[in-house]
Amino acid sequence: MEAIEHPPIFTLPGIPDHVTYTWLVMIVLTVAAFAASRNVALVPRGVQNFMEVVLEQFLGMIDDVIGHEGRRFLPLIATLGLFILVGNLISLVPGLAGPTANLNTTAACALVVFFAYHVIGIRAQGFGNYLKHFMGPVPALAPLMIPIELISHLARPLSLSLRLFGNMTGGHILLAIIFFLMGLDGLIGWALSGSAPGAIVGGIGALVMIVFTVGFLFPLKILVSFLQAFIFVMLTMLYIAGAIEHAEHHSGHH
Amino acid sequence: MRRSLFLAGAAVLAFPGLALAQQAATPASGWVGPFGVLVAGFAMAFAAGLCALGQGRAIAAAVEAMARQPGAAARIQTAMIIGLALIESLAIYVLVVAMILLFVQPIR
Repeated sequence: MEAIEHPPIFTLPGIPDHVTYTWLVMIVLTVAAFAASRNVALVPRGVQNFMEVVLEQFLGMIDDVIGHEGRRFLPLIATLGLFILVGNLISLVPGLAGPTANLNTTAACALVVFFAYHVIGIRAQGFGNYLKHFMGPVPALAPLMIPIELISHLARPLSLSLRLFGNMTGGHILLAIIFFLMGLDGLIGWALSGSAPGAIVGGIGALVMIVFTVGFLFPLKILVSFLQAFIFVMLTMLYIAGAIEHAEHHSGHH
Repeated sequence: MRRSLFLAGAAVLAFPGLALAQQAATPASGWVGPFGVLVAGFAMAFAAGLCALGQGRAIAAAVEAMARQPGAAARIQTAMIIGLALIESLAIYVLVVAMILLFVQPIR
């Protein structure tokens, strides 16, 4: 998106921007984790209290979707969720770049989810039983079901990565276009400069765009940041839940 | 298990996508470029409109269900958000294709 977006204020030579700002997200999360676990008290206060509330939200979602035995996947799920959330929010700070607005970062997260839920499924019910997932409820339908299941499983990392990347990058392009229109508005004011219409057109246009950006676009992007992190985590939990449930559960209704 | 999951998460955070380098966008020459811009705009317009229709149906059904069963509102809302994400991802695919047409321009 170098064509329309301004480069971030801090860049390391030879290192892509999304990697630089991934390291920034890592620093933020590490400092938060360190501050929360430095003085672990039985009655939590301050940062520890906040992080415990956040992790309890994750635990509640895991209990809802996977069940109680899914609590051992908390490190994977909470790490992905917090990384994506902070990465989404950091791209809203002017002058910083967002790691999740790059397809490489989101594809890496989605590939980790893809391999993780297959490994979890194979460990939970063995290789042979796990392969029965792909055969559908009736054995006679297996030649039809196996290609469908394979394609649907291969589409999962594609849709996970493209959804996050598209939402973030689409929002950035929207903001860039609004800022470009602000420049256009200034250009109109300059073309009519020295006259009252120039000041009126430029002033009203700039006011409308500032109010629109601050009052609507930024809250919308904050909402989308939380929503996309939630959806990534929720779909990860659904995939894990689908991988560890037994194949008989599918055919139990027939 | 827990340690391997932790290592996988650490690997995600440490090295995201060093392998894939981005290609710089090059300006198009010829008549395909303007058509690419037109197609990108129209594709995004159709995708956004049809996606809005589908999401409107989903939200209408979910709100109706929530009004009938307020006790199950939380679960309905979770299912609705997941469904909305799955519907929206189709429009996001079109957005990605439009961005490829606009910025990458594989066909000139």
